[in-house]
Amino acid sequence: MRTAHCFDIDGTVTTTEILPAIASELDIAEEMATLTQATMSGAIPFEASFRLRCAILGQVPVPKVQSIVQTVPLNQAILEFIRTRSEDCFLVTGNLDIWIKPIVERCGCGLFSSQASVDQGRLRLHSVLDKGEAIEKLRASGDFGRIVAVGDGANDCPMIERADIGIAFGGVHAPAPGVIALSDYVANDGEALCRLLSTL
Amino acid sequence: MSPVVNAVIAAAGLGSRLGLGLPKAMIEVAGAPLLGRLLSMLEKKFQTIHVVVGYREELLIDYCARQHSNVILVRNPQFRSTNTAQSYALGAQHLKGKTLFLDGDLLIEPRSLDAFLDAAARTDLLIGLTEAKSENAVYAQARFQSKPEEDLEVVSFSRDVSMPYEWANVFSGESRTMAGANGFVFEHLAARLPARAGLLELAEVDTADDLRNAVEFAQRHGL
Repeated sequence: MRTAHCFDIDGTVTTTEILPAIASELDIAEEMATLTQATMSGAIPFEASFRLRCAILGQVPVPKVQSIVQTVPLNQAILEFIRTRSEDCFLVTGNLDIWIKPIVERCGCGLFSSQASVDQGRLRLHSVLDKGEAIEKLRASGDFGRIVAVGDGANDCPMIERADIGIAFGGVHAPAPGVIALSDYVANDGEALCRLLSTL
Repeated sequence: MSPVVNAVIAAAGLGSRLGLGLPKAMIEVAGAPLLGRLLSMLEKKFQTIHVVVGYREELLIDYCARQHSNVILVRNPQFRSTNTAQSYALGAQHLKGKTLFLDGDLLIEPRSLDAFLDAAARTDLLIGLTEAKSENAVYAQARFQSKPEEDLEVVSFSRDVSMPYEWANVFSGESRTMAGANGFVFEHLAARLPARAGLLELAEVDTADDLRNAVEFAQRHGL
């Protein structure tokens, strides 16, 4: 039986949140971190918050964003796990495809994300990902007999809920209570997480 | 000879008899929670440690995140209607190889655990016994074979007939030993008796008296 492994990016694969890192370019990193934290905890709906954050961060040119994203540190154990099973691993993120491209390239695996393009120098948001739908798509593909999902924020809930095995990850910060409530396991360290994934 | 490679700790229960409103594993004895004491000891021996959580799981999750981040927490949301046997089955569900199963409310003298694990490597199933002392003991009828300590065997369990040893709530066996088990852990193990037994020096914290005894136990053994 082939198992798909789905990973949230921010605060799971990355050891810091990406949007506050981009926001530091506009000198509003703390403000962005506050907004991101409120969203991850589920206090603000993800989509509305993400659209707002895109409107703000859209001021930063995409090449600049990508160069910042390039420097965001990744959890080495998780990165290695993904790279050795790239056919069976997927990044599932509400973040924008054109922003997180450097991370996707480093991981070399599949991607479900929100989508945007640049139109006459302006960022145009096309779709915001519902992580639950990503899992449905993956299941509908028929390629996998089982889906394992790993995440930490409130927007990971639909993904964890629809996966066969859900893991709340607390390696960067405590997982949102809603994520824990839907999960089978809680892992607080990248290496421990990967050992668990290997035994499942 | 196959060494024990995993540990599964059951820490999902209510601990209602003590009435402290905490999972029993979070009860502090001489300044450290029981779970912390167990994990500090087990982390030196095992890479893979699963702690099954249920009642007030957030306390255990938070504690492990801060103090023992290598540990995997396994959720048992049915903790109110299941018992330790089901928590063990859940905790060991995807593990492979020989596994140490133990209750999270135990204070164990480390050298006796070392000896237990040495013996566990030499047998498929090793059942932990301790000198009978707890209020609600499950007594074990045990007999020594030719060489004392080496060949202790447990023949039966009884709640009614008082005997020198009691079930210690610790055993080692294949990871799937408790798969599909109903009832109490010792009842499930009873089907496999006679089996090798290993002696442990430990204190179980079940009642307020136990807690007082555990504090003395910790002092006596310098824990």
